[in-house]
Amino acid sequence: MGVVHGQEMVLNIGPQHPATHGVLRLQVKTDGEVISEITPYLGYLHRCFEKHCENVTYEQVIPFTDRCDYLASMTMNFGYVVAVEKLMDIKVNDRVQHIRVIMAELQRIASHLLATGVFGLDLGAFTPFLHMLRDRERIIDLFEMTCGARLLYNYMWVGGLSHDLPKGFVEATLNFLDYFEPKIDEFENLLGHNKIFVERTADIGIMPAEVAINFGVTGPNLRASGVNWDLRKDDPYSIYDKFDFNVPVGQGIKGTVGDSWDRFYVRLQEIRESVKIVRQAIDQLPKDGDVHQSMPKKIRPPKGSIYSRTESPRGDLGYYIESDGSDTPSRLKMRSPAFTALGVLDEIAGGWLMSDVLAILGSLDIVLGEIDR
Amino acid sequence: MSEDIQVLIDDVVAKALAGDMDPINNIEDRVTRSKAKAALVKAKRSQPETEIKSKASEVSENSDVKTKDTIEHIVIASLTKNFSNFLDGEQNGEWIQMKAENWFDIAKHLKENEDLYFDSLQCNTGFDLEGGMLESRYNLHSMKHLHAIEIRIKVSIENPNIPSVESLWRVADWFERETYDMFGINFTGHRDLRRILLPEDWEGWPLRKNYEEQETYHGIVVPKVKEGWE
Repeated sequence: MGVVHGQEMVLNIGPQHPATHGVLRLQVKTDGEVISEITPYLGYLHRCFEKHCENVTYEQVIPFTDRCDYLASMTMNFGYVVAVEKLMDIKVNDRVQHIRVIMAELQRIASHLLATGVFGLDLGAFTPFLHMLRDRERIIDLFEMTCGARLLYNYMWVGGLSHDLPKGFVEATLNFLDYFEPKIDEFENLLGHNKIFVERTADIGIMPAEVAINFGVTGPNLRASGVNWDLRKDDPYSIYDKFDFNVPVGQGIKGTVGDSWDRFYVRLQEIRESVKIVRQAIDQLPKDGDVHQSMPKKIRPPKGSIYSRTESPRGDLGYYIESDGSDTPSRLKMRSPAFTALGVLDEIAGGWLMSDVLAILGSLDIVLGEIDR
Repeated sequence: MSEDIQVLIDDVVAKALAGDMDPINNIEDRVTRSKAKAALVKAKRSQPETEIKSKASEVSENSDVKTKDTIEHIVIASLTKNFSNFLDGEQNGEWIQMKAENWFDIAKHLKENEDLYFDSLQCNTGFDLEGGMLESRYNLHSMKHLHAIEIRIKVSIENPNIPSVESLWRVADWFERETYDMFGINFTGHRDLRRILLPEDWEGWPLRKNYEEQETYHGIVVPKVKEGWE
C-alpha cells in the first residue's frame, strides 16, 4: 500500500480492549487511516512465572504452566513433562503416551475452535463464535470427566498422569467426534466462505515465509505462510510418529499465501487432522498399563540443561531447563510461541488500515497469559 | 546382589557409556533398572575426561554424519577457518562456549554459511552463574539441515556487554529485550533496548540470584516471594 504523508496521530488500543485478547496495549501511529507503526506494550499479565519456578519443586511447576496458556493447558503440561522426562531419561508406557496424545489433540481442537471463533468475533461475526464455543464446551466436559477441572488441568505429571481415563471416556469421546466431524464443514461454510469475512481477511496482513522464519513465528501462523513445518512430523516427540496425519499449509485459496484468511483456514484444517489423530490414538489405546508406573518418587534430574520443544496449538513451545542436581530448577525458561507471533505484528501490519490491524491481530491467535508469563 | 545381575549391570552400563541407552531402559525389573542407572551415574562421574575423548574419536571416524554429537565439531571447524580466538575455555561437546567480542560476525557466518545455515533462533535466555558472571545462551536451529546447537557467552556482571544479533534474526529483538529485562545483560547495537515485561521504571534485575525486590513501587508495597512454598 502507498504511504500518504499527512499529520501523524498516536492512538492507544488497549490495555482494556476486547480486540486485544487480554491486556495488551498497542501504541499505533496513524497517518490518516493508514498505520505507520505499531509498538506493543506487554507485561500487564506478568506473574513472574520463571522466578517462581526457581523456588518450587519440579512437580509444583506444572500448575504454573497451566496458567501460562490458559486456553491450551494440556499442551503446556505436555511440553513441560516431555522436557523433564528427557532430562531425567524417563520412559513412560504406551498407555500414558496414548492418553497424552488424545488429550493434547482434543485440547488443540478446543483451542483452535476458540481461536477461529474469536477471530470471527473480532470482525463482527457473532454467530460462528457461539457455535464454536458450544462445541468447545463438549471437549471441556470430556476434560472435566477425566480430571475434574475445566480450564486448568494439572493432568500430565512427570512420568505419568494424575488419573487414568474414567469409565465411559472412550465412548463419550467417540460420540463427540461423530457429532463434531460434520460440524467442521459447517464452520467452514458459515465463516470461511462468508463474503464479508473473506473481504476482510483475504490478501490482508500477508506474512511471507522468510519473514515468518526470521521473526521466529511458528505453528499455524508459519504453516499458513506455506512452510511445511510441524514438530509432530519433523521432530517427533512422544508417539506422534505412529500416527498418520497431514500437515495443512497455506495455499492462498482466497487470496495470497500467508494472508489472514490462510491463517484461519490452516487452523480449521488442523482441527480435521486432530480428529484423525484422536481416532487413531483411541483405536490403538492399550488396555493395560498403570499411569503411575514410571513416576519417580523424587524428581531430581541430574546436573545439566535441556532445550526441548513441542507443538502447542500456537506453535513451538520450548522449555529451557537448567538443573543443578537439586529438586528445584536452577533456571526455567519458557519460549512462548505467542510472544514471537506478537513480535511480527509491526512488520506485517504496517501500511494497512486501522480496521485491518484488528483482523491481523486476531488472525495471529495470541494469548496474553503466555506472552507475559 | 547376585552375580548374574552384577554382570548384566556392568554390561548395560558399558553400553550406555558408549551412547546406547536402550539396554538399560529395556530392563524389565524396576529394581535392577534403577541399580543400573545408579551404576551409570557413578561410572560417568568417575571418568568424565575419558568420555569426552571417546566422543571426539567417534567424531573423527564418521564426521559426515550430522548428529547432535558432531554438529558442534562441524561448527567449530567451520568457524576456525574464518575466525581466530573465539572459543572461551575448554569445550565439552554439548554446547559451544564463545567469547563476546566477535559474536556478531560469528553469528552472521552461522546464519549465512550454506553448510551451517542456522536460519532460526529458537531461544535466547540468560543465566546467572553466580560468582560475578552472567551468561547468555542461544539455541540455534536450521530448518534446512535440521541440526541444532547451543551457544553460550559468558560476561562479567560489572561489564555485561554482548553484541546484539537482533539485525540478523529479528526474533532476537524481543528475546534480547527480555534477557536485558531479567538479567541486565546489555546487548550493544540493539536498536530499541528497553524493558519488555516489567514496567520501564522498575529497579533491579529479577532473575539474578541475588535479586531483592524494591520495597515500594509508586507507593504500592511490593509483595515478597515467600521462601519455600508449601
